[in-house]
Amino acid sequence: MREAYNIDHQLQLITAIKDNNSIALKAFYTSNYPKIEALILKNSGSQDHAKDIYQDAFISMWNNIRNESFVPQNDTALQGYLYQIAKNKWMDVLRSKRFKTTQSLTEERTLFLKQDDTIEDDDHDKKLNITMTAFKDLGQPCKDLLKTFYFDKKSLREIASDLNIEETSVRNKKYRCMEKLRATVLAFKS
Amino acid sequence: MKNNSNISQELLETIERYYKGTMPKDERTSFELKLAEDQEFKVLVEDIKTLILGIENQSLKEQLDVFHEDLPKKISVEKRRVGAFPHLGKYAAAAAILLAIAFLWVYSVPQNERLYAKYFTPDPGLPTVMSSNSNFEFYDAMVNYKQGEYKMAIDKWDVLKTKTPNNDTLNYFLGVAHLANKNETTAIDLLKQVTQNSNFALSDEAFYYLGLAQLKQGNIDDAKKNLKHSKTDNSKALLSKLND
Repeated sequence: MREAYNIDHQLQLITAIKDNNSIALKAFYTSNYPKIEALILKNSGSQDHAKDIYQDAFISMWNNIRNESFVPQNDTALQGYLYQIAKNKWMDVLRSKRFKTTQSLTEERTLFLKQDDTIEDDDHDKKLNITMTAFKDLGQPCKDLLKTFYFDKKSLREIASDLNIEETSVRNKKYRCMEKLRATVLAFKS
Repeated sequence: MKNNSNISQELLETIERYYKGTMPKDERTSFELKLAEDQEFKVLVEDIKTLILGIENQSLKEQLDVFHEDLPKKISVEKRRVGAFPHLGKYAAAAAILLAIAFLWVYSVPQNERLYAKYFTPDPGLPTVMSSNSNFEFYDAMVNYKQGEYKMAIDKWDVLKTKTPNNDTLNYFLGVAHLANKNETTAIDLLKQVTQNSNFALSDEAFYYLGLAQLKQGNIDDAKKNLKHSKTDNSKALLSKLND
């Protein structure tokens, strides 16, 4: 009975994360960080490394929940899953030759981690990274609108009412912002 | 991404619905059929999907930075202490304490104190032959003195001193005993009295201990003056240190 409740609890958590519920995301982020920071600090990493690795792992976990490649088996499955991803990512860094040779130079290590983020073999990941960078540098009004619609998952009507404008105008704005983003991405690639 | 294919608002919203899973079953079936048949359309749909995924990933990334700012700082620092150098920490702490002690020793203990500590060893004392009981009280105290029981020796010799206040040998050992007992002022008084008599057998030693006592008190000039009167090797060595 308890197990059923626990799995149920995990499923609720996963639903909340899929919905990008910011309260659930924040609670999950905050409660799992100390353990992973301790792991990385204990294994010759810095706090900056801990933050980078943890966020990287968190985003991977989030993507895997959404594409259904993660299914919880027990109450702490997601916590364990996140920890495992972070641990594997940190092991990859430790094993890398460049980390070993630049061990004493913290700045270089951080730089390496950052470079590693953007160097992706996978074509899909490369495209995704370009899009992320393009979105990051998009003008603030477009950025806010697209985030509210796609990430916060607010409806056009809700956004219209929040901004006190017509729903059609929100719809048009959103379309123009997407075109702008797409154009930036295309410019990156050519 | 294909530059030549424009995306209409309608197409964008169709793809959004497909991606969100809000497409009615009939529409979905025909949409998937088109995806399977039309390669160009498929690429276009993938591109839009990547755009949306990019927006979401970057939004999450930025949100995580905000979450990170709000992490309780205290936990972070404590973990760092525990985790960063679990073994090094102890050694570092120990090393820091040792360094601090060494630092205090070198810089807070004045040079004269250090020289005094280096050079002061009580006079070995006179041989005590118990059979020569002509001066039993004196040699009885000498036994205490030699065993480092300076307080006891002083008490016994003080009794003798009331009887023979000008006995140089008595005053000399009493002086050194006071010096060993960390009572420099009394030691200086007694040794000064002893050094008045230039014929005293232990005159060199008396000047040496007088100089040491004054050095201990930080009276370097008088210490040097008295050390000059002493011909012992220790006096000469100490004097040269003081003149350095």
